[in-house]
Amino acid sequence: MKRNEKAAASLAEVQLNREYVIHEVRTNDEELKNFLFTLGCYEGEKVTLLSVLSGNYIISVKDARYCVDKELAEAIIV
Amino acid sequence: MKVALTGNPNSGKTTLFNAITGRVERVGNWPGVTIEKKEGVVKQRLHQEKNEIIVVDLPGAYSMSPFTSEESITSDFVKNEKPDVIINIVDAANLRRSLFFTTQLLELGIPVVVALNKSDLLKKKGIVLNVELLAKRLGCPVVKTIATGGSNSGLKELMAAVVGAKGRQQTAPFNGAGMQLTDQEAERAVDKKRFAFVDKIVDEVEEKKISSNGQTKQDAVDKILAHPWLGLPIFALVMWTVFSISQTHLGPFLADVFVGWIDSFYVWAEGLLAAGVSPVLRAILLDGIIGGVGAVVGFLPLIMVLFFLLALLEDCGYMTRVAVVMDRFFKRIGLSGKSIIPMIIGTGCAIPGVMAARTIKNERQRRTTVMLTPFMPCGAKLPVIALFSGVFFNHAAWVGTLMYFVGIAIIVIGALIVVRITGEKNVRSVFILELPDYKFPSIKRAAVSMFAKAKAFIIKAGTIILLCNAVVQIMQTFNWQFQVVAEGAEHTSILAGIASPFALLLIPLGFGTWQLAAAAITGFIAKENVVGTLAVVYSITNFIDVEEFALVGGATTVAEVMGLTSAAALAYLMFNLFTPPCFAAIGAMNAEMENKKWLASALLFQLSTGYVMAFITYQSGTFLTTGAPGTGFLPGLIVVAAIIGTMAYLVRKGNQKAAKKLVLTV
Repeated sequence: MKRNEKAAASLAEVQLNREYVIHEVRTNDEELKNFLFTLGCYEGEKVTLLSVLSGNYIISVKDARYCVDKELAEAIIV
Repeated sequence: MKVALTGNPNSGKTTLFNAITGRVERVGNWPGVTIEKKEGVVKQRLHQEKNEIIVVDLPGAYSMSPFTSEESITSDFVKNEKPDVIINIVDAANLRRSLFFTTQLLELGIPVVVALNKSDLLKKKGIVLNVELLAKRLGCPVVKTIATGGSNSGLKELMAAVVGAKGRQQTAPFNGAGMQLTDQEAERAVDKKRFAFVDKIVDEVEEKKISSNGQTKQDAVDKILAHPWLGLPIFALVMWTVFSISQTHLGPFLADVFVGWIDSFYVWAEGLLAAGVSPVLRAILLDGIIGGVGAVVGFLPLIMVLFFLLALLEDCGYMTRVAVVMDRFFKRIGLSGKSIIPMIIGTGCAIPGVMAARTIKNERQRRTTVMLTPFMPCGAKLPVIALFSGVFFNHAAWVGTLMYFVGIAIIVIGALIVVRITGEKNVRSVFILELPDYKFPSIKRAAVSMFAKAKAFIIKAGTIILLCNAVVQIMQTFNWQFQVVAEGAEHTSILAGIASPFALLLIPLGFGTWQLAAAAITGFIAKENVVGTLAVVYSITNFIDVEEFALVGGATTVAEVMGLTSAAALAYLMFNLFTPPCFAAIGAMNAEMENKKWLASALLFQLSTGYVMAFITYQSGTFLTTGAPGTGFLPGLIVVAAIIGTMAYLVRKGNQKAAKKLVLTV
């Protein structure tokens, strides 16, 4: 990893409607990590934050949209 | 031959299943509607095969490695039961994710046929697919289908491909099973290659004119419906509309007409039985069966309208948005946003509501949802509400509305108590939910669902309720010596003998008479029985049209016959709504909780809630209207104090457990 790149941000902090590449899924819950994987949500894949609704984050991964809560959005580092 | 239907959640498996078998299984526009496998026989006109084709509808899954319990049904079935052919239903607009599961299915050595479903939406989304190339790359037939469409929707072609695929050797274009899978990391590395393989295929076969990652109309609608402040009032308005149409406008109007027919039938039967039939048999047939069942069936139109509207609501894609809105609030009381879906379904019937809780991953959240869902007044409780608001409160709409709000309040308080008793108040869980596209709800499918529910209701009325009413009528007619009880000596009947001890417990709630106790007891068998039994024990046949009743015997007859004050009537309503639901719903709770201790606690909790609510309602109502507490205030107070004390003790114990856990994790 390049040292001088700007500090990694979580999905909860990124701009709307911009495509990002997932850097890491930071969770201790292996089962959850596997589940996110089967949705195509893992490092190296593209993700777009579409909107923030009622405290939840609407993200688009592999042509599908999901609603995730803040905690999960914070675990996805781009 | 046996065929399995598999695919991602909300790809339209059950819709396709219904289309090819003619069955009416529950469908809805959100992921996770189907939670159990269902079998059906494919319509003969759809295929040329001589033997019948059995098709098994499975819950949706994203992959062969299950995350929630209903997903494991799918992987277990295709691995262990070895169907002859697997139909993999793929959302045509979402190949990039869906084909991941497809490639896993292709490795099982069972012939696969891919159904590209929702293919009618491709044009709208600006997507062009090369179906031939996709079939070549996957090494299996690919058929475009529109499961919601009528003719020309690809169903015949699909079944032809299925029949043709039987016995074919299936080769996997991407074989992950052959690779070394020593640990989790290696497995993930293989699956990454699998996704890369899928991406390569999709790049080849798909041409996209509109990027799906940008903002669409859907997002604009979402911004309003799931708005942090507007979302909740909009949800309240939607539910209020559903209930006011079904319970104060269209429903009662239709019910009036319907009850007229039942009355004519009663009169006709009465004329028929006029001569030569013993008065006892006559009473059983007329008052017990026609009167009791008729009183229940009279509410059929209300229930049909309610189910029709709920089906429309489930079909349009709004349910997941409600889950999004509610998650913020439900998290605070220890539930998941997904808990709202079982509760909305529960307003129709608690059984499918309780079963819908299965998609909630967290065990405590799931069990709590199961425990609290029956507090939403269901369709079977509607007759009880309608009856009491009609008889005691002059058809006041606020009675029904109040019951829903009290139900919601109990759910909130109940959730807060349970999360504390279990000592998990500091445990967080994650929320993730796929958002389906909005669509215009299908009137036809809502009508089909409504008639299916109506049929089930009539069958129930003709079996369980009919039997209960006949038994109640017989027990009321005879005393313990099997002699017909004399007029004015009804309290010597078998029914009075059995119900009287229970009635003692109900004195502090304001309705300690054996008739009302008997109705509450039969209510556990099915809630519709409450109305049926009341009709039998008080010999009243027409509950809905109180005006007509007034012409016969004075304005307040029904209320007078029952001898209840308004406060006691409201308390009786609370008691029936918030004590444990019917036996069938308790069975469903048992299945979803998978734990006897939880089930027992849930039933105790529900019983306590019903008792406490009825006590508070009756005593405070009586105090407000007469200035003095009602009968049996002190013994009731002791019981209520004991219940609240026990809960407080359990909460304290749970809190200590939570504090200990916190110390351990820090």
